[in-house]
Amino acid sequence: MIDSFLLVGLPYLAITVCVVGTFWRWKTQAFTWSSLSSQFLEARQLRWGSMPWHLGILLVLLGHLVALALPRVWGSLMTYPTLLVITETVGLGAGAMALVGIVVLAFRRLTSGRVQAVTTTMDLVVLALLFFQSLLGVLTALLHRWGAAWSTATVVPYFWSILLLRPDPSLVADLPPIVKAHLVGAWLVLLAVPFSRLVHVLALPLSYLWRAPQIVIWSGSRRARMQAKDLAVAESRREFLKGAAGVAVAGTLLSAGVLDKLVRFFQGPKISGEMETVLLAKRLRHLQMTAEEQALQLERQKNDRILIGRLSELSATKGKYFIDFHMAPALAFLGANGLPLLISAKCTHLGCTVGGDVDAQGQILCPCHISYFKITTGEPNPGAPAKTPLPHLEWAVVDAAGKTLAQRTAGGAIEGSLAGVPPEACQVYVCRPSPEGAS
Amino acid sequence: MSLVSVVKRAVEYVAERFPVEKLNYHAMVEKKEVPVHRLSWGYYLGGAALFFLCVQIVTGLMLLFYYQPTVSDAHASVEFISEHVHGGALIRNMHAWGSSMMIACVIAHLLTAFAMKAFEKPREITWVTGVGLLFLTFGFGFTGYLLPWHQIAVNATKIGLQSIEQVGQYLPGQMAQWPRAIRETIQGEATVGQATLSRFYAIHVIVLPFALAGLLGIHLLAVQLHGMSRGVDEPARRREKFFPIFIIKDFSVWGVAFFVLFVLALCLPFESFYSYPLFEAYDPNGSTPDGIKPEWYFYFVYYPLELLPFGVILVASGLAAVLLLLAPWIFRGTSRKTLRILAFAGAAYFLGMTLFGERIYHFFKGGAP
Repeated sequence: MIDSFLLVGLPYLAITVCVVGTFWRWKTQAFTWSSLSSQFLEARQLRWGSMPWHLGILLVLLGHLVALALPRVWGSLMTYPTLLVITETVGLGAGAMALVGIVVLAFRRLTSGRVQAVTTTMDLVVLALLFFQSLLGVLTALLHRWGAAWSTATVVPYFWSILLLRPDPSLVADLPPIVKAHLVGAWLVLLAVPFSRLVHVLALPLSYLWRAPQIVIWSGSRRARMQAKDLAVAESRREFLKGAAGVAVAGTLLSAGVLDKLVRFFQGPKISGEMETVLLAKRLRHLQMTAEEQALQLERQKNDRILIGRLSELSATKGKYFIDFHMAPALAFLGANGLPLLISAKCTHLGCTVGGDVDAQGQILCPCHISYFKITTGEPNPGAPAKTPLPHLEWAVVDAAGKTLAQRTAGGAIEGSLAGVPPEACQVYVCRPSPEGAS
Repeated sequence: MSLVSVVKRAVEYVAERFPVEKLNYHAMVEKKEVPVHRLSWGYYLGGAALFFLCVQIVTGLMLLFYYQPTVSDAHASVEFISEHVHGGALIRNMHAWGSSMMIACVIAHLLTAFAMKAFEKPREITWVTGVGLLFLTFGFGFTGYLLPWHQIAVNATKIGLQSIEQVGQYLPGQMAQWPRAIRETIQGEATVGQATLSRFYAIHVIVLPFALAGLLGIHLLAVQLHGMSRGVDEPARRREKFFPIFIIKDFSVWGVAFFVLFVLALCLPFESFYSYPLFEAYDPNGSTPDGIKPEWYFYFVYYPLELLPFGVILVASGLAAVLLLLAPWIFRGTSRKTLRILAFAGAAYFLGMTLFGERIYHFFKGGAP
């Protein structure tokens, strides 16, 4: 009961209140749309609180947002262990930074008299909410590790089930209490948005990123203005030095890293004896493949007929690959007349190798751009990318004594017959294409 | 017109394009300024492309130490780099990702330069050399793709080269045989084999780099002599010094670019977008595996090629090449606003074909996406 309120009722309440309330505030009280800066009341502690808080929470929120908005991309990225470790580490680091920041901010708000003077009850509520929310987030990351991965099957679908108006709290009902509390906290923060300074999240002052920095000072006296000017000069000098130091440190680290990689790259790998054997065997296999290829080529240079196999090995539905006289792949089938059927397997479209399985329509398929060729004629199907038929090749069937029983000549005519010789005793050869057949 | 006046005019023409009197410290370093306006980000893209070129040179050189360009060893040596050499996988992955990023930068650079009318007189030569560099970059992509000698590499190269031969059907008489002869000259033999690998290797490692160095030298010299083009019609409100302000910004862009490339190369193998059998060693006697397609940066011509008759693509790409090369003269009078719209249309076409090409293909041709 309490679960269904916290995981279904509260979310809808929060979303509705957030949307309606924000819109109402924007319409009626646009000038209260502010983060209520108190920088000029107290700047020193603010820097140590606000900076880490905002940097940390921005990174963390960005991670949450990407995971929620692009669940499939995120889910597939998180299957890489390295990436998961990096994400979790960065997330935990940013979360911890945000937590430190919010603690400093809380301390400041509770101790500085000047800031106290402008603090409202809502500010304290927001502060407490954000503190507990960050704490719960960091605890989740520490105690229930790899949330970046497991949340893709729990929290993300839950969130989408809420958005798509078919809420399914069972997706997150069995999560540990800390995680559930973190979820509830998120809805509470959303609920508080229209009533507090949190609305400033919805303002996106992107131009702040490249505008010149502004220093807030008390206006009035000439002395103060001069001071501000001196401060600006000193500040810019300090920024330059800081930048230079940063570049120097980063440069040193980078060159150390690069040098380490470079040296080890050129040192070459230290390979175990076992691995060396594997590598040598592989190399030998590749060399043998090349040698076989060249032997085939030589064979075709020297002979006018190349043996494919026994006639009984051929099938009408599954082609036997061989290399034809152009050194291109070709297929041998058993034709309907019990004689061989030899057809080039080099697709006439872009030269891919055509598959060897004959389908129910008596066609073979080129997988590259989906052309079907009828094996009896070589013709491609209408509308196929291939326009010209696969050529049939010339063959000869020879008996055990070396006598040619039947052959297909350049014109396509078939001469002779098996004359009762069993297919086991017949050898099928592919013949060198005659010059007029080639043209 | 007498020969003397022709030569005189030619000399004047070149002198205007290469004002060597500006070849000094004062004009090229002290005085060089960059206009600040809403399209200023376009000025970073050429630098970014240059940066990725440097990455490609360094990583490419490192790969050369282990790569073996023979059909029996190429695939094994690439595997050796990835699996055994320290940092080899990273270097190889950086080379693969870097090539994609370089091409992306070059294309974006071309489009922004076009939109900013950066080819206006006297910058025609800069533009033409730039287009030349674009073609060279595509050449690098095409030749480099073959070198790992795996299934997708060899089969995609076969398909790419075969399309040269397809031109033959549109040529009359004896000329119909020329494209086939050209293809076999590029291949070095009847099918893609050792000769092709050796040629592509030589082209990728020696020929193209030298050609690129030459063109890039002219391109950069011209950029330095003329300075940045103004980019927009309204006069710039502000200009900033090239040295040291802009160059520092340029370097920070390079830093970010390197960071992105490094993290990508570290975390995501370039091959992870394809199924594994495509990366097995090429087997000349086996059948072609499913899913052979060129690299993403050729999709903009590959998918139209699959959908439309070859002749249409041939005419269209010929026109596009002419349009690109002669842009400084064709679009001399065109307003920047129109150029921006044209560049935007070009970008939309390229992005659309690259991202949704496959879906568009299946939409028209049917079949599962």
